[in-house]
Amino acid sequence: MVSRRTGLLALPGLALLLAGFLIPSIAMLFAPPGVSPLDIIGRLGRMLTDPYDLAIIGRTVGLGLIVTAVCIVLGFPIAYLLARSTSRWAGVLLALAIFPLLLSNVVRTFGWLVLLGSNGAIGQLLTGLGLVDRAPQLLYTELAIILGLTQLFLPLAIISCYSAVAQVDPGLDDAARGLGASRTRTFWGIVVPLSAPGMVVAATLVFAGSVTAYTTPYLLGGSSQRMLSTQLYSYSSVTIDWAAASATAIIMTVLVFAVSGLSAVVGRRGATS
Amino acid sequence: MKTSRPVAASLAVAGYIVMIVPILFVVATAFTGGSTLRFPPEGFSLRWFEAALAYDPFIDALLSSLQLALLATVLALVIGVPVTLAIHRGRLPGKGLVEGLFLSPLIVPELVVGLALYQQLMIGLRLDNFPVLLIGHTVLMLPYAVRVTGASLALADPGLEEAARGLGASPVRAFFTVTLPLLRPGIFSAGLLSFVTSFNNVPLSLLLQSRDFRTLPVTMLDYVQQSYDPMVAATSTIILAGTVVIAVIAERTVGFARIFGGINR
Repeated sequence: MVSRRTGLLALPGLALLLAGFLIPSIAMLFAPPGVSPLDIIGRLGRMLTDPYDLAIIGRTVGLGLIVTAVCIVLGFPIAYLLARSTSRWAGVLLALAIFPLLLSNVVRTFGWLVLLGSNGAIGQLLTGLGLVDRAPQLLYTELAIILGLTQLFLPLAIISCYSAVAQVDPGLDDAARGLGASRTRTFWGIVVPLSAPGMVVAATLVFAGSVTAYTTPYLLGGSSQRMLSTQLYSYSSVTIDWAAASATAIIMTVLVFAVSGLSAVVGRRGATS
Repeated sequence: MKTSRPVAASLAVAGYIVMIVPILFVVATAFTGGSTLRFPPEGFSLRWFEAALAYDPFIDALLSSLQLALLATVLALVIGVPVTLAIHRGRLPGKGLVEGLFLSPLIVPELVVGLALYQQLMIGLRLDNFPVLLIGHTVLMLPYAVRVTGASLALADPGLEEAARGLGASPVRAFFTVTLPLLRPGIFSAGLLSFVTSFNNVPLSLLLQSRDFRTLPVTMLDYVQQSYDPMVAATSTIILAGTVVIAVIAERTVGFARIFGGINR
């Protein structure tokens, strides 16, 4: 099969990639219909100075960072306990952590509407216990978006951390413990540093997912908690402002590329040191 | 889980609650006898399942989603597997670059790709939304086809194909009798992953909808925004049941954690 002609097998794929992805994306980002590249640069400049647009960019990045931190703080212990467990339940719990990845985001996010809505379970519980007189506004808040995005991306964080922890030889834990290190010291001194590359991968995936997710901010944030994704949709289909849509798309794409590039650099430095 | 690590164990419990509890509440409200998303549910009935199955926009959208996911998956494999062969077996100039190019749809935000296809192909070239959806979903699935089957191919010994060729088999025959069977687990994994990803997709499909052809997740999102009744909970429960079936099939064949987590257990 090793022949010059085998390389030609990539041609249909390349054609599809060019016509169905690369050319339309570049054309949309820099030259939408009836819009000059200068308009887009101007719009981009105004977005990066206007308080309203900056608030949306700030919320997107801020919530992305919070969700990333929460996913690592909750996901790493799960990965660690599962990777180090000898119980036969560990396999079941791992499957339970991966399963949500297969389930529609709409279905998963809809659960929060049931929990956080005005007649939802959490409000009912709080008023039922007499803790508050009236159910607090939980839906359409930043908290709701954080909960929804954490639910969505925690499985990804667990998988990346799990692969990393599973590669750390448990013999090292035993050696540290044998030399008198406490369980806590072994965790922070051995397990965490050696599985750090997996955490970097997890953080990158969660952050990139959070700043581009649409369903969660749309359903749980509503119109009061706009993010870049919901803003991009309304520029493209409600106000049909191509320059603003392209500028928003550029900001979103640059954010994702920057964090992916940063994580590649951090990962390489970690590998050589 | 022993409680010798109390901090880690409590964080883990919190994580599982956030992942699983909302899904349980969806199922619980789907069986309500009342007409709002109130909790606790008022009585038990199957009325919202009957309503969902009799609601034509959902049924049409379900059929559209299945059709799109199936076609996109087949197309991505038919186009993607030859790309994998070219990368791993051919003398391709700039191999790393070509592979990176085929994985690139994973990095660009799906909403951005959706906007590009909507603006350039649907509005610019006046294409119908179905072919554009099919192009978009196929492009999105290509990375899975290339990477997952690539992992299988990297494990396969090229000497086997050379032996078949040495024994007089044509390149095409060597592919179908030797290489393809070796790739089968990879193709199956990639297919399952593509199908599920395409079926559940929202950001790419969002702008590419039309009155005649809409996918189920997008239709459900619109419905939730207009009316706040438990019918979406019932539809969600049906989707959950279907997803469980797919997960069980995955577990019985290639292994669940291996397909969806890339974990070799």
